[in-house]
This record gives sequence, C-alpha cells and structure tokens, in this order.
Amino acid sequence: MNRMDTALRDFFADAVAPAGLVRRLVPRLTDGPPGLEALANRFRIEATDRGVARLLLGRGVAAVSPRARRHAAQALEELREYLAGRRAFFAVDVDLADVAPFQARVLAEARRIPFGETESYAELARRIGRPRAARAVGNALGANPVPVIVPCHRVIRGDGSWGHYAFGGEMKTRLLALERATPALVGCTSTRIVCRRGCPHERRVAESNRVVFASIPDAQSVGYRPCRTCRPARVA
Amino acid sequence: MDERAFTRVAEEYAGRLYAVAYRLLRNRADAEDAVQRALMKAFAARASYSPRWAVSTWLYRVLSNVCIDELRRRRPYPEPAGSHAARVADGGERIDLARALCAVPREARLLLALHYVNGLSYRELARVRGISINTVKSQLKRGKAILRKALEDPKG
Repeated sequence: MNRMDTALRDFFADAVAPAGLVRRLVPRLTDGPPGLEALANRFRIEATDRGVARLLLGRGVAAVSPRARRHAAQALEELREYLAGRRAFFAVDVDLADVAPFQARVLAEARRIPFGETESYAELARRIGRPRAARAVGNALGANPVPVIVPCHRVIRGDGSWGHYAFGGEMKTRLLALERATPALVGCTSTRIVCRRGCPHERRVAESNRVVFASIPDAQSVGYRPCRTCRPARVA
Repeated sequence: MDERAFTRVAEEYAGRLYAVAYRLLRNRADAEDAVQRALMKAFAARASYSPRWAVSTWLYRVLSNVCIDELRRRRPYPEPAGSHAARVADGGERIDLARALCAVPREARLLLALHYVNGLSYRELARVRGISINTVKSQLKRGKAILRKALEDPKG
C-alpha cells in the first residue's frame, strides 16, 4: 500500500457517527415526504394558445380554445407530478405576453434557477444587469402570474430568510423541502442514460436501477449519456 | 424485507453510512440529515429490495444518490468548515487533505469515500454507481492523481 492509500485510509477512518444516531433516526423512518400532491387540485389554471398565463388559488380551468385546454391539462398533470416529487422541471409553455418587459426579464431569469437551488433577490437583480433593483425584482416576483411553474419560490432574501411568497411562507418552505428531497438528474444503470426527473423514460426506470447525478458532465465522466427526449444537457 | 428486519439493518449500517456522508458533505448536520433521508427512502422502497443485491450495496446506492443530489445544490463549492486538517506524515508538514479533496471531481470523490471509509471493492463500487469496473479503476486513479497534485501544490 503506498503512502497516499495510507493517508486516505487514516483520513476517512476518523469520521465516527455521533452517539445515539440510530436511536434518533429509526423512529423517524416512517416520516413521509411532504404530502403536497393534493394541492394540485386547489389551483385554478388559466391558459391561452401560447401557454399557461395564470395560476391562482381556486378551482378549475379557464381556456377557450382546444390548444389552450391542452396547455392547461399539461400544466395540471405536470403540477401533480411535481408536487408528488416525481418531476424536477416544467415542460409546459408559459404565456408572459401581458407582463411588462422588466417583469418578464425577471421571471425569465427566475426560470433559470436550477431545481432545488435558491438565489437571493440581489443576485437575480445582478444577473439581469440591474444590481440596484433588488426591491423591484422582489415586486416583480411578488406579482408572478404563474407561481410554482415560474419558480419565484427559489428566490430568497440575502440573509437567508424566505421573504414574501404569494401562497404564504409555509408553502415556500414546503416547496423548497420538496425540491430538496427530489433528485433532478436520474441515470438508469442498465441503459446508462441520464434523464431529468419527470421525463417519460425516467419514469420507466426500475427503482433498483436508479442512480442520481449532480451534473451532466459528472454523468458523462462515468460513461452515461444524456437522454435525447428530455435533453438534460441543455439545462444542467 | 419486513419493518423489523429493516430496523436491524439500519442499526447495523447507520454508522458506516454516516461516515461516508460526513466525508462528502463535511458537516455533521448535513451528514445526519443525509443518512436519515437515505434510510427513509430505503425504508419506503424496501418492497423493491431484491435479495440478489447485498444489503450494503443497496444502502450505499441510496445514500450516494442523496449525497450527490445534495452536492449538486452547493455552488460554488464551499471551503471546508473549520478546515478539517488531517495529519499526514510528510516531512513533518500538516497537509489539509479535506481541502485537497475539494479539487477532486464529485464522482471520483464519492468513489474514494466509499472505497476508503468502508473498504468497498471495485466490484461493489461498480454496482453502487452502475458503472463498469474499469471506470471505477480509472476514476479512483484520476481522483488520487488530482489529490496528489493538490497536496503538492496547495495553491494551484
């Protein structure tokens, strides 16, 4: 064994589990993930031919054309899967045509925050090239017409506190906890293909064949290739 | 696997799972949280556990999935909290192995942790991550080469 092996063995050997760890953990094994699935039926979805235009608390769907109804149905299905922890992205189109240009830029940038991650109002303001407009960014997000799908809940205050959320602070906590418990990139050990959680191919992967990756380059480095359907390489 | 059998398995492996999680996530609270989430996921999926797998392989797979997803959210990579310094005899110098490990890519770091914390063989590592044995070998070799370079040139 060379010196590096010995050094690594010594280094890794001294992480000892705190006393009573198992006693603390075992009684909590049956704690389920945050049960948010039922919430999907408490949203009202308004859609146009271009996509989902509004998501509010309420019930039902407002969509006049068949195309708009398809967008609304897709949004509802994706919301259900997302809230059940089976989806890490929204593929449904969003219609922000009636939104002012500044707000549209803020919302577009918020959509780029990766699933499960958070960013501060100030960082978002910096990213749109308006570093002094953190408060305006907050207002633009506060008036987000399509919450959850446009993930304004991933934007928090610089000090780590939640800030305002249209559906309340508790909902923001539950959504962020849900995203924390849901992996974003799932690989299949038999096909060596990596998908985004929620891709139709990912849903067919057997439980025992699932491996999670932190990024597409990570997956590629050990011989997995990105799925051609959900195209995770584009976002990851 | 029934609930009682699972609890026995959890008691047997929790310490080893914690050691891997702690070395990857580098703080006690996150490591404990990762072990808890891994055990909860494994408990929920215990019906799908196949006896052709070693229990340890299955649990390490679930834990690796949790830890890797946790690492995904950390950007940019934070400096080690309190900089855990490992004493390595190298001409009397103290070398910060924890800091050097930050330079190792995540997949290789995970394999190093599983290999050195719990002595998993190449074959077991390959099953845990769903990769070939040759990939395991090349990742470990690459990881150690990066580590060696980072230790020799801490600033670079």
